[in-house]
Amino acid sequence: MADERILYDYYLIYEKTGAAKYISHLDFVRTYNRAMRRAGLPVAFSEGFNPHPLLGFALPLSVGYTSECELLELRLTGAPAEAEIRDRLNAVMPGGIKILSVHRGKSRMKKLRYALYYVTPEHMPGSVDAFLQMEHTVIDKKTKSGIKDADIRPDIKEIRLTDGRMEMLLSAGSDKNLKPDVVVRAMNKYIPGYDSGDCEYHRAAIYDENMEVIN
Amino acid sequence: MSTVNIDKILKRVQKPTRYSGGELNSVVKDPGGVSIRYAFVFPDTYEVGMSHLGMKILYHCLNQRPDTYCERVFAPWVDMEEELRRENIPLFSIETRTPVNEFDFVGVTLQYEMSYTNVLNILDLAGIPLLSRDRGEDAPFVNAGGPCAYNPEPLAEIFDFFTMGEGEEVIGELMDAYNEWKAEGGKRIDYLKKIAKIEGIYVPCLYDVEYNADGTLKSMVPNCPEAKPRVRKRIIENLDEIVYPDKFIVPFMDIVHDRASLEVFRGCIRGCRFCQAGMIYRPVREKSPGRLTSDAEKLLASTGYEEISLSSLSTSDYTRFEELADKLLALTEKEKVGLSLPSLRVDNFGLSLMERVQKVRKSGLTFAPEAGSQRMRDVINKNVSEEDLMRSVGLAFDGGWQTVKLYFMIGLPYETDEDVAGIARLAEKVVELYYASDKTNKRRAPSVNISVAGFVPKPFTPFQWAGQNDMETLSRKQKLLKAEIRNRHIKYSYHQSDISVLEGIFARGDRKLNRVLVRAFELGCKLDGWSECFDMDRWRRAFADCGIEPDFYTRERSYDELFPWDFVDIGVTKDFMMRENERAKAAVTTPHCRLQCSACGAADLCAGGRCSVYKEESSLNKIKELKENG
Repeated sequence: MADERILYDYYLIYEKTGAAKYISHLDFVRTYNRAMRRAGLPVAFSEGFNPHPLLGFALPLSVGYTSECELLELRLTGAPAEAEIRDRLNAVMPGGIKILSVHRGKSRMKKLRYALYYVTPEHMPGSVDAFLQMEHTVIDKKTKSGIKDADIRPDIKEIRLTDGRMEMLLSAGSDKNLKPDVVVRAMNKYIPGYDSGDCEYHRAAIYDENMEVIN
Repeated sequence: MSTVNIDKILKRVQKPTRYSGGELNSVVKDPGGVSIRYAFVFPDTYEVGMSHLGMKILYHCLNQRPDTYCERVFAPWVDMEEELRRENIPLFSIETRTPVNEFDFVGVTLQYEMSYTNVLNILDLAGIPLLSRDRGEDAPFVNAGGPCAYNPEPLAEIFDFFTMGEGEEVIGELMDAYNEWKAEGGKRIDYLKKIAKIEGIYVPCLYDVEYNADGTLKSMVPNCPEAKPRVRKRIIENLDEIVYPDKFIVPFMDIVHDRASLEVFRGCIRGCRFCQAGMIYRPVREKSPGRLTSDAEKLLASTGYEEISLSSLSTSDYTRFEELADKLLALTEKEKVGLSLPSLRVDNFGLSLMERVQKVRKSGLTFAPEAGSQRMRDVINKNVSEEDLMRSVGLAFDGGWQTVKLYFMIGLPYETDEDVAGIARLAEKVVELYYASDKTNKRRAPSVNISVAGFVPKPFTPFQWAGQNDMETLSRKQKLLKAEIRNRHIKYSYHQSDISVLEGIFARGDRKLNRVLVRAFELGCKLDGWSECFDMDRWRRAFADCGIEPDFYTRERSYDELFPWDFVDIGVTKDFMMRENERAKAAVTTPHCRLQCSACGAADLCAGGRCSVYKEESSLNKIKELKENG
């Protein structure tokens, strides 16, 4: 049945830092739904048997990761100003979740191909040149059908070592997706003598196939 | 003052939001700006503890005081405990990650016996001596309340003091007394003697206990003038005048009851003879629909919850139910939130109400006939007939439900095998009802889930004298019932019988059990309420190591025996409970409080000795009516 209501599309960019990094994706969806209710925004609900707010996330964030580029699409039954949505949500969000900007219309989230991560390990590797020169980088990886050995090399676009952190540009999206903790495990496996220790993971930006930032 | 750093270990545990804090509406204060720091402990995991209403209420009460900062503490799950012990990190509060032993008070809520080893594990993880007598002058005051505190004796050597009854008022008196005591510069024992004078407070070290040769209690007498020979429970007489949280902490993780709950009333008019809650929370006291609706509005606005639940022992006994339902449904329909009504009785459950609730969201339906035969239901004073159950389930089936859950108990006093088999017969009749109705969808099959628990005799009930079935008897009855169920639409599940027996031992236990508890903890018992952690063999060893015979605690008792919990005055008298036990033997029912007062004694707790039931509008009308009709 076609949805005949007049609905308004928005998308917003938010950051997830501090204690909020421990919230899993599913729990985060619930947190958002409740924030929308508290903010009193005219949320559009699905018309099924158990109505739920119409929300769409670009790319789930792993537990323990922080981010400054999370993208969320939502639909409202009214058309408040962008700044009003931002301010009302920020007033009722738990610590660590902050709306950075709100935009009208549809986002380009479907174009998502790459994500940039900042990885801060306890110990930096001396060099990643040899690691990047490997033709195949096989590591066990969680997939939809269980844990399997996979070659992650094609999904590593770039790794740059800067002062105390590794910047990783990796495949992202529903088609191919590589998470930086898997890369770190591969580095621990293949770089002789390397032990990263505990790492901090931060998502810094998402891009389309032409390396245009999606925001 | 210090804080612990757990960032590293949070990455390694399964569910970090059990420990990470920072949830919406959690209270943030400057610990340096208060004179009292209170660690409120729920001795089970976060998702269980965060579902508990009492904790929310007392957290709110304490944090309303500018001089006090109350923080939450939960039992860590196995993986977190391993990390804490390996990294040598003490157990900490959720809000500020302060080690628990740095608090002034450690207050534990005792909701069920199977959490007792968690209390010891929490104290151990916090570096607090397990026994009250081993704690130094700087240690926190470790105290407890909640339903299990009504028989405090199995934990008497562990806690410094207990609070009997409802906490909203007395917890403030305890904090005031603490400030006074601090100003006076007294010793630890001085504080305990000071609060022993407050109504509802029990300080175990101020009482001497003697036993008879057969192990039963001979005497329990105060050893100082401050301690009262009888400790009377506290109640709040007018619930409309008492504080209720306008905000609930909204957890990130999915907890057991993740919703806004409204406390509709306290107490129960029913008097089921197995039910401890029905006795210890007497007399019944209702909140007004107006107050409840305003509580609901505030909670929805501050939490964004998508569900409101009504909380009480028997929601449909609320005298102004229609009025409340009207007000709440107007609110829930506007806000697009669900309304859930647990604890409905099968005898006064209306179709119109169900249809209206269904309009918003359909939740599962559970009924509790408790026993399979009418004779047995009369013994336990459930006052529910088979017709009542069939009428309610029939309404549910006709209303579009296919699944109903039925709760039962086995091992009840005066029970025969026919009574047990009666559970299967009743469930079969429920299935037949589905097929007999012309309103049900026959292309879909009904599902009747029966859940059967082993009866545990509890203190302060008419069955406190009863013998408890041993594991063999319970297992035999479980098997007997299983063999009786031949209908494929009936799904049968039952509780572990060894857990029921252990629960019964501690429920009616005495001071001698403190040793067993400590020994069980030393042997590794913890999280006993979780089947993956429970280990009966360790418990057997703990009893054997202490030379204590478990059967002593499950035996039938005589009317002249002095019970370890007799010094607690819950209002309801021992004499009333004896009368009720005699009626049970004869399978004679007792009418509920609104039909006829049975002089249970709870009226004594109210001003002027007039029970709250007499102050209810409907009761006043009835009295007026009776007078007018001569």
